[in-house]
Amino acid sequence: MSAVTSLVPARFLTIIAHLVIVITIFWSRENNVKACLPLDFTPEQYANEDKKLVVGLAVTLGLFAIELAGFFSGVSMFNCSQGLLSLAVHCSAAVSLSFFVFEKWECWTYWVIFAICSVLPTFVEIILFIAVFGLKKKPL
Amino acid sequence: VVDSSEHTGTRTLSSTPLQILFYLNRWYFSAFILAEILMFIYKLLILPYPTDNAVLDLVLLFFFLCLEILRLFYGQKGNLCERPLYSGLSLFVLLPCSALAVYYLLLQTFVLRLELVLNAVLLCFYVLQFLLGLLSLSSFSRSDSDRNRPLRTFRRIHTHTVFFF
Repeated sequence: MSAVTSLVPARFLTIIAHLVIVITIFWSRENNVKACLPLDFTPEQYANEDKKLVVGLAVTLGLFAIELAGFFSGVSMFNCSQGLLSLAVHCSAAVSLSFFVFEKWECWTYWVIFAICSVLPTFVEIILFIAVFGLKKKPL
Repeated sequence: VVDSSEHTGTRTLSSTPLQILFYLNRWYFSAFILAEILMFIYKLLILPYPTDNAVLDLVLLFFFLCLEILRLFYGQKGNLCERPLYSGLSLFVLLPCSALAVYYLLLQTFVLRLELVLNAVLLCFYVLQFLLGLLSLSSFSRSDSDRNRPLRTFRRIHTHTVFFF
């Protein structure tokens, strides 16, 4: 019962924190794109790197949709293992993306954060979807 | 707790998605108020905030907090006890809450980007709660007219018991 009263809202708030920062990066990504270009970059180089970062952010939003769907449908809302994993990685993502924005990290660092903090919980979420809907297991 | 449906022969009308939204909204709004207060202090220190505007924004934030506590209490109570009056009151208070969220989204003296995103998420909560609230309110009102007096009284005792547990 304590998992319901503490883990569920904590997981939800960390997911929202990560989502809020990802949306904020859409607005402030100019500095990060410039940070990974040489001082004499051309407009084509800038557009290319900018496009990559936008695609990464958009895919991140798609992964958020999958994870929130699993959370709200109850597939993984009360699963303590997925709750703890999601809590840990989204908390890490919120902190590291805050550094990404304030310290103007280079844009390739986003992909490291993306792989660890967005792909991993969504991958586990998809496994739980398959287990619950495909294999008819209880969602706990 | 005995399932009250077995005694009264009626189906449970409380909305689980709506209850989930109320529960998570309470936590989200706590974080939202904390973030707003911190951002307010930040803007007060960094930006040339006129005193009158600062007082207005702070007072409205306090009103927002009071209205939200009231709305969440009546919304949860109305949903769990299946009372149309409480659910309707919750939907009624949702309107000034939405107005205040739009104020903090667009109209306050200085708006940070973070505030735009936080208020947008809060408005998503409000839209979902409005739709689900209307659905549950209509089902409560419809079933009220189908019940006779003794069964209704008996059911109310049980739903109150369920609520307090």
